[in-house]
Amino acid sequence: MNFVVRMIGREFRSSWRRLLFFFVCIAVGVGAIVALRSVIQSVRQTFAGEARALITADAIVSSNRPFTPELRTTIDDRLTASGAEAVESVEMATMVRAAEHEGGLTRMVELKGVEAGFPYFGRLALAGGQPYTHAMIERFGALIRPELQAQLGVHVGDGLLIGTKRFEIRGIIETEPGRRLGAFSLGPRVFVSLADLQETGLLGFGSRATYQLLVKVPDAALDPLVASLRRDLVNQFVRVRSYKATEDDIGENFARAEDYLSLVGLVIVILGGIGVSSVTRVFVQQKIKSIAILKCVGARSAQLLVVYLAQVVVLGLAGSLLGVALAAGAIAAIPATLAAAATPGVTVHYGLTMPAVAQGMGIGLLVSVLFALVPLLDVRKVKPSRLLRDETSADRPDLVQLGAIGGVGAALVALTVWQAGSWRIGLIVTVGFAATALVLHLAGVLLIRVIRPLARARSFALRHAVLQLSRPGSQVRIVLLAVGLGSFFIVGIRSLQENLIADFAVDLSPEAPDMFLLDIQSDQAQAVRRVVTAHQDEGAPPPRLLPVLRARIVAVQGREVQLDSYEDVRGRGSLAREYTVTYRDALESNERLVAGAFWDGATSGSGSGPIASGTAPEAEVSIEESIRDRFRIQVGDTMRFDVLGRPLDALVTSVRHVEWSDSRAGGFMFVFRPGAFDRVPHGSIAFFRGPADPAARGRLQADLVNVAPNVSVIDGREILQTIRTVVDNVTLAVTVVGSLVVLSGLLILVGAVAMTKFRRIYEAAIFKTLGATRRVITTVLLLEYGLLGALAGLIGSLGAVGLTWGISRFALGIPFRLLPWLSVTGVVATALLVAVVGIAASWDVLQRKPLATLRAE
Amino acid sequence: MSGVVWAAACGVPATPAVPVEPVPEGAAASIPSTRPVARAERPEVVFLGDSLTAGLGLPPEESFPALIQQRLDEAGLDFAVVNAGVSGDTSAGGLRRLEWALQGDPRVLIVALGGNDGLRGLPPEDLRRNLAAIIEGGQRAGATVMLAGMEAPPNNGPDYTARFRRVYPELARAYDIPLIPFLLEGVAGESSLNQADGIHPNPEGARRVADTVWQALQPVVERSAGAR
Repeated sequence: MNFVVRMIGREFRSSWRRLLFFFVCIAVGVGAIVALRSVIQSVRQTFAGEARALITADAIVSSNRPFTPELRTTIDDRLTASGAEAVESVEMATMVRAAEHEGGLTRMVELKGVEAGFPYFGRLALAGGQPYTHAMIERFGALIRPELQAQLGVHVGDGLLIGTKRFEIRGIIETEPGRRLGAFSLGPRVFVSLADLQETGLLGFGSRATYQLLVKVPDAALDPLVASLRRDLVNQFVRVRSYKATEDDIGENFARAEDYLSLVGLVIVILGGIGVSSVTRVFVQQKIKSIAILKCVGARSAQLLVVYLAQVVVLGLAGSLLGVALAAGAIAAIPATLAAAATPGVTVHYGLTMPAVAQGMGIGLLVSVLFALVPLLDVRKVKPSRLLRDETSADRPDLVQLGAIGGVGAALVALTVWQAGSWRIGLIVTVGFAATALVLHLAGVLLIRVIRPLARARSFALRHAVLQLSRPGSQVRIVLLAVGLGSFFIVGIRSLQENLIADFAVDLSPEAPDMFLLDIQSDQAQAVRRVVTAHQDEGAPPPRLLPVLRARIVAVQGREVQLDSYEDVRGRGSLAREYTVTYRDALESNERLVAGAFWDGATSGSGSGPIASGTAPEAEVSIEESIRDRFRIQVGDTMRFDVLGRPLDALVTSVRHVEWSDSRAGGFMFVFRPGAFDRVPHGSIAFFRGPADPAARGRLQADLVNVAPNVSVIDGREILQTIRTVVDNVTLAVTVVGSLVVLSGLLILVGAVAMTKFRRIYEAAIFKTLGATRRVITTVLLLEYGLLGALAGLIGSLGAVGLTWGISRFALGIPFRLLPWLSVTGVVATALLVAVVGIAASWDVLQRKPLATLRAE
Repeated sequence: MSGVVWAAACGVPATPAVPVEPVPEGAAASIPSTRPVARAERPEVVFLGDSLTAGLGLPPEESFPALIQQRLDEAGLDFAVVNAGVSGDTSAGGLRRLEWALQGDPRVLIVALGGNDGLRGLPPEDLRRNLAAIIEGGQRAGATVMLAGMEAPPNNGPDYTARFRRVYPELARAYDIPLIPFLLEGVAGESSLNQADGIHPNPEGARRVADTVWQALQPVVERSAGAR
């Protein structure tokens, strides 16, 4: 034992420089895992906090009727049993006006009465940075939105008439928690205390209000509480909602991103492992003579194995620690880059999380040992006779090594599944990995065969490049494997990343619309357009108006379907529902023609109106694919629609496919050819980018009321900002991690090439002795490595396309997009990289005087 | 993002209202701006309204205009009911589709609008102006116009609800037309007569509404049938 310990120390002193690369591989891998996991965990925590802030509580019990005393008793019993507390709030629409102007402007607002304790989560931010306390609104105080301030021309300290009571404006709301995504807003928010709201006389018989209980409950008790409340309150017109309900788009996108990030973390581990394996192999080869000497003096294989394994463990630990330090540095750099995107009230606090650190260290150590084990087992095979005869070591692994390979493989599969967090993704990656490795191996064998005739080529450089590749014990297979897998992962991760980011359903570009107008009548369109354009910021795209109508299908005359009456249509389920339809003369970017022909710019039905003509249809309609598939309605069939109580026959002239996940341009089951509704009264909806300044938004709304009082405005700005923060964070994590993968791939490449260096030195010396110039040797190297790199890159890129397809399709459930430029770049870049690294790694081979090398031998 | 807006814009996908009889060929060949040309078709009773008329959340045969059609049939009165109810529509929207609704042979026009104006707090002055224009348009088209009164919900504040409530009787007086004082008389605010949303009548509530409407409508249609 004493020997073993002393040997570890001595070996380590002499060889740590050579093992530096080992150390770096592990550090990058571990750094990636720790940084990645920490980012995921930070974002997830923020997101959980956000989800709570979005409803201001752990759960909400809401009803459009007041809670009866019996109901309150039932609910309170449950709350007490779960250790929960609750505050009540009431929301309603009401009309307010400035108290000082008798008969002045009145505006509809969304009034919310709250109790002390609101909000449990999230922050009510006031203009001027004043902190919100319930005391601020007690005794008839009100907090209002800047839009209302602009519309009524009131200021803090002025009076506001709500119901029969006068309230004093005590603050301006900047951001408000509990504003739901897509919630239809009837007007700007006003906060008052619940006790005062009950004094206003607005909560009488027939009043429309939402009564809510905001519940705060220990996390463990949340799900059971929600379940039992739902059970108790069934058929009581009560909804119970937990913050965990993330049915919306963000939640889904976020879950996907998390799956993806876990997967990438794992890939980095494997890449690091390949680097470790390469280094260990070279290390053992360099140590063969020392090992042989030690064996001569009586060291046993087991002892030597322990010596080297112990070094691996020490290095693995040190590398892991360095990795944690790297991750800490990377994470510390994040907030600066992200500060610009930060929204008030939504801040992600990045930091190393303990579970991430522990996991990273554990994986670093495990991977070091696992990947070093197989090459280290070679130590057993070194015979003392190696000192005398320089025989090529037998490459063939023995039974023990095969067993070790099997064990390591199984451990890796387990690791994959664990890190990916799902059997499915874990298996897809493992299968992809194994298949690519097999293909690369076969490709190596094939390559040697194919290029052998070139060994008689005239060019010295080419001849020797080929000979190098095809001689026994060449590095072809190993470099192909390492580099091919490296490019497989890099290209795969990049294209997955592109696919994933492209799939975020929300358009977050700076021009993306964030204000929406409903119920624009056709004679108001011009005026609305004018007002909106006048208020928009410089350079914002003009508002888009979409005409919308409600229509119902009352009959279908088709080749496959005959629905003569509305009763028949009703027999077809959802075909009978009221559809929102539109008309336009071009396909949208999220649409694709599947059958028939889409009309060109010309309008149909000139002269005598096509509408409501009983038989010959002149109107044309384009239907969505799902209507065709579900109801077997085909191009050439005639459909009769009920449009506002009148029939309209339309000929189906085309079938469209709508990409529903990309709903930026809206999605319509039925699109009519312009002209059909010329005489049908209909309104429009509009979306556009509102001005950035909240006061300007308020003025825009006030002006809109003047030209079109019936038009409703939905302001999506705050919601979009919240989504944007989340998406920015996820994108950042994905990008950082993608770069780390590239870095570890590069490390492997260097490792794989460096591995072959020690053979090179001797060859180069002989060539030089025989008169080869440095230039010739460089050309040999360039051809050899370039060929290898191109092949590895090609196979890796093809494998990556398969991987991306498989994961997009089966694991993440997002549409697959082929990115040809990425694959081509992958091949070219790999070839170039391998050639450059090959030359660079062989630099001292080229420089070294042949005599020195030959003497050393 | 627009998906979100759609949801808000369109509300709950409405259950379809009553299917109307197909209009014979050429019915809409020319859309009348004044009196419709007499045509060989059934005289119509047109309901111009919102989701209450469209029968949101009800099977089509249980909306109150469908029930009125039944009563007409039972009474042997040959009128076709046109359900021109559009969920979410305001008086402003109703005015714009008046011509469309009246393109057949309207004998009676029941104006049942204003509910959404009240829910959205639109100015009662605009409601008055829009309803007046609808009444005049209906009369120009030769129909007997009836007005169904609505109430703004009390949460809008006493000032607003009072101004809103006044609009209907004042218009009825000004144009000397029959008035149903409140379309949802005895139904609004009654849990047992409304759907879970607390706004839209359930089948029992719709029957009550049909009773209220029929009471006022019966003499008008009988007179109209007699005049033919």
